[in-house]
Amino acid sequence: MHDFTYHHPNLLSDAAGLLGGKPEAKLLAGGMSLLPSLKLRLARYSDLVDLKAIADLQGIKRAGDAVVIGAMTRHAVVAASDVVKQAIPALAVLAGGIGDPLVRNRGTIGGSIANADPAADYPAGVLGLGATIITDRREIAGEDFFLGLFEVALEPGEIITAVRFPIPLRAGYAKLPHPASRFALVGVMVAKTRAGVRVAVTGAAATVFRLTQAEAALDADFSAAALDGIEVDAGEFSSDIHASAEYRAHAITVMAKRAIDAALR
Amino acid sequence: MHAPATSTRIGQPVPRKEDLRLITGKGRYTDDMNLDGQAYAVMVRSPHAHALIRSIDSAEAQAVPGVLAVLTGFDFIEDKLNPIPNKTFSMHPAEMPLINFDGTPAFNVSDYPLPADKARFVGEAIAMVVAETIAAAKDGADRVVIDYEPLPCVTYTVDAASPDAVRVRDEHDNICIDAQVGDAEATAAAFRSAAHVARIKTWVPRVAGSPMEPRAAVGDFDAKTGRYTIYTCSGSTLRLRRDIAIVLNVPEPHVRLVIRDVGGNFGTRGAIFPEQPLVGWAARRVGRPVKWTSERSEALLSDYQGRDLAVEAELALDKDGTFLAIRGSNVGNLGSHTGNFSMVQKGVEIMSSIYRMPTAHFRARAVLSHTAPTRPYRSSGRPEVIFVMERLIDLAARESGLDRVELRRRNLILEAELPYKNPFGMVYDSGAYHKVMERTLELADWRGFAERKAEARKRGKYRGIGVANYVDTATGIPREKAELTVHANGSVDVVIGTVSNGQGHETSFAQLINEWLGVPIDKVRLITGDTDIVTVGGGTHSGRGMRLGSIVIWHASNKIIERGKQVVGLLLQKSPGEIAFSNGLFVAAVGGQSMTLSEVAGAVTSRTDLPPELRGPLMAECDETINDAGFPYGCHVSEVEIDPDLGNVEIIRHTTVDDVGRAVNPLIIHGQTHGGIAQGVGQALLEHCFYDASSGQLLSGSFMDYAMPRADVLPFFTTEISEVPSTTHPLGMRPAGEGGTTPALGVVINAIVDALSDFGVTHMEMPATPERIWRAIRGKPQRSRIVPDAVEQQISLT
Repeated sequence: MHDFTYHHPNLLSDAAGLLGGKPEAKLLAGGMSLLPSLKLRLARYSDLVDLKAIADLQGIKRAGDAVVIGAMTRHAVVAASDVVKQAIPALAVLAGGIGDPLVRNRGTIGGSIANADPAADYPAGVLGLGATIITDRREIAGEDFFLGLFEVALEPGEIITAVRFPIPLRAGYAKLPHPASRFALVGVMVAKTRAGVRVAVTGAAATVFRLTQAEAALDADFSAAALDGIEVDAGEFSSDIHASAEYRAHAITVMAKRAIDAALR
Repeated sequence: MHAPATSTRIGQPVPRKEDLRLITGKGRYTDDMNLDGQAYAVMVRSPHAHALIRSIDSAEAQAVPGVLAVLTGFDFIEDKLNPIPNKTFSMHPAEMPLINFDGTPAFNVSDYPLPADKARFVGEAIAMVVAETIAAAKDGADRVVIDYEPLPCVTYTVDAASPDAVRVRDEHDNICIDAQVGDAEATAAAFRSAAHVARIKTWVPRVAGSPMEPRAAVGDFDAKTGRYTIYTCSGSTLRLRRDIAIVLNVPEPHVRLVIRDVGGNFGTRGAIFPEQPLVGWAARRVGRPVKWTSERSEALLSDYQGRDLAVEAELALDKDGTFLAIRGSNVGNLGSHTGNFSMVQKGVEIMSSIYRMPTAHFRARAVLSHTAPTRPYRSSGRPEVIFVMERLIDLAARESGLDRVELRRRNLILEAELPYKNPFGMVYDSGAYHKVMERTLELADWRGFAERKAEARKRGKYRGIGVANYVDTATGIPREKAELTVHANGSVDVVIGTVSNGQGHETSFAQLINEWLGVPIDKVRLITGDTDIVTVGGGTHSGRGMRLGSIVIWHASNKIIERGKQVVGLLLQKSPGEIAFSNGLFVAAVGGQSMTLSEVAGAVTSRTDLPPELRGPLMAECDETINDAGFPYGCHVSEVEIDPDLGNVEIIRHTTVDDVGRAVNPLIIHGQTHGGIAQGVGQALLEHCFYDASSGQLLSGSFMDYAMPRADVLPFFTTEISEVPSTTHPLGMRPAGEGGTTPALGVVINAIVDALSDFGVTHMEMPATPERIWRAIRGKPQRSRIVPDAVEQQISLT
């Protein structure tokens, strides 16, 4: 690990200030991806600004027709939250299936979505549930947030403070875990909302995406059988030693059906 | 599970006395060793699978604050140090010898721990940076400029054996040994008369041993005496000291080797590894102790790896299903060094397993490739060939229409036929092969399977069951020595040449002493791993730890008792023949007077009225060369369920019966069997050291890509121990532990193929990943991107 200066401010404004003017500074949330990359010397930063002491970034609350989760809320907290389990049980399932207990006790929702790993679970939750990313500067629709491989719509120095999930009528998440990393080889969030059905897929491509062909079919008939004829095009999908693009394409329909079954349960 | 131990004698499931120490962080592993003034070494490893080293510029690295030295292969040669010696074959007299078919010697070349000519695999250490801290050493390592000229490479086993393959060594082609064993003519005749022939072409891929404790070594050099001390983790002490002394070019007594706790081995540290002599050399160069500890990604790149055997084999049967002959060709991948040919020596000699096989013929080749060196990995060579044999039987059952269990029954060697010489010349000692298989089938409820299968199908799952028998050949270094000293306080010191790598020797060896000398196990101190104390011994490998350790401890214990009887006889004015010994007490047959073992130990060191030959510490030693091999055997049954939508496999049950001859500690044996099963299942379903064929890059370089088996992918196992005494061991013991792994590959794949039989699937390559199974179900080629195309190529049988 290369040397860096470590900061742990108590106030969001201080965190923003510490980032200001330091092009090589980086925010530290749960550190579950950042710390390994530092230890492997794959990344180097002048400053790490740890957000763990900022109370405003913690916690889960129900706000009308939505659940708002503070950016520094740990996966294990989301998985165990009565508010989440009651309002959006699929989100609790998703959080409870991330990594392993060690990762779930350290990793945070804000860190996960800011990192935008192509195989992370949360991006499917954000996009599939139509969530909004709240930062210290603005609100960004989940739709507009994930731009590509490890690439998101945050400006330099912009800090995610919370994620607002509208409560769907029904939702389900199903994940085919990577045999080694337990990231998603394919993870599918299916949500039935007042505005229609949303299907978001993680793990298969460079970034999370919506499966619009399935959404249309499910708008007409919200059942696993509605996806029977759907063939997903493997064109741009990832291929690696664990799964080919062809297999991922197939797994998307299987996991989507399982997500629907979970939503209907 | 067992009832709790009722004593601490042989046969009792005594909880391991070392566990509390080890699981509370009080173990003394190599990285726990810290010496005053210690510096740290970091290796600069090759990013190329094959490249000329044109030059190494270390000036910038030397300038990094804290860097003490940058050492390369050029410095190593300049210091007149030696390459690493290889012991390519087992010379054990019970083992099948391998010789080149044309009579030429096998190709064996010693590699330098830091090569100066070429890099031959991704991850090979090319330079070593020594610094005040690990961070400074890493900064230095980043600045070592190595001018490489990348060259084409070959990684896959069958490709490497091709005559026009890129050579790993300029002076020789990649084939280091090309042997023919068995009787070609008789085998060909048997095949001509066969009613059925089952065929398989397969590749048992390479896996990583992945012990919990990474490799490590701390080197110290005393300039006054010219003596090195190396603290490290290994399976052996004296052989390793000899090898380190050879590399450092000093007489053996100039090296002291110290091995304390070792957190797993499985062959990854079964032989000298480059960093062990390097830290000694570095300590001499910088005048300070030097420590090196591997990181996990470094371990995946540069630990000795296991398996990697390509096989083509055929089994001939008559119309009733009686085996007539087996023939084929095995090609083992040595990686970049000619380290050890065991995978085609041990990996051929029991090709016919414990089945009656009138004749056989095999070609055995070991080839170099631009990959990390391989070494014997848990049950060296045997899991590979048992996999092939057990797959062949299932294929033969399908080919002939005979029941696969019945086929095994018909051909398993009968008790009355033992000892049995197999067609490769291996002589199996004793065993109840039929009884063990029947017991396993019964424990696994083989008969009730059809019902469970039907029930699973209702849930949309495809359930399969498989059975596999196995045998292991346990040989290893034949010489072992024990030195026992009984102290007046009642404690016993046992000095022995074995090293526990996690097998629980502190407990199981103490149980032997408890049995024979009546000493409580907490008063037994096992002293191993320090060459200043241990003078003879072969270490822990090839199922030799308890097998040979028990014999020398037993004989030394008897010598203690004999001397004790003489002393007690004299003191009680009886003849030694009138003194009996049991439970730590010497008792006169007439009169009933008694002395404890500790009283005798006190008497011989304190009384002056004893004759000189009985005076002095109550100690005895036994140094023996034991040339007998051991043949543990057993049976596994595995039951799986497959999700046809995704190809996911769930192991529902896994049942084993292992014959260990005589169990010293059943609790430890069950534990080792559990771990062994996990390793076998890991290979069958998950693990694979994946080298990209064109670049030679390792694509499974971290646990994010190298899939280890975890507790949640395994069921609770049913493991049972059978105890048919071995006739090649004076106490009846056979080795234990490896039996968990040996048949696990075959039995899991047999179960999967059974589950998929409705889809017409006849074989699955390993690892049987969900995608491969999904492809097999749909009649697509299994390989996709996962298997090199070359696996489809023909392996020549001639």
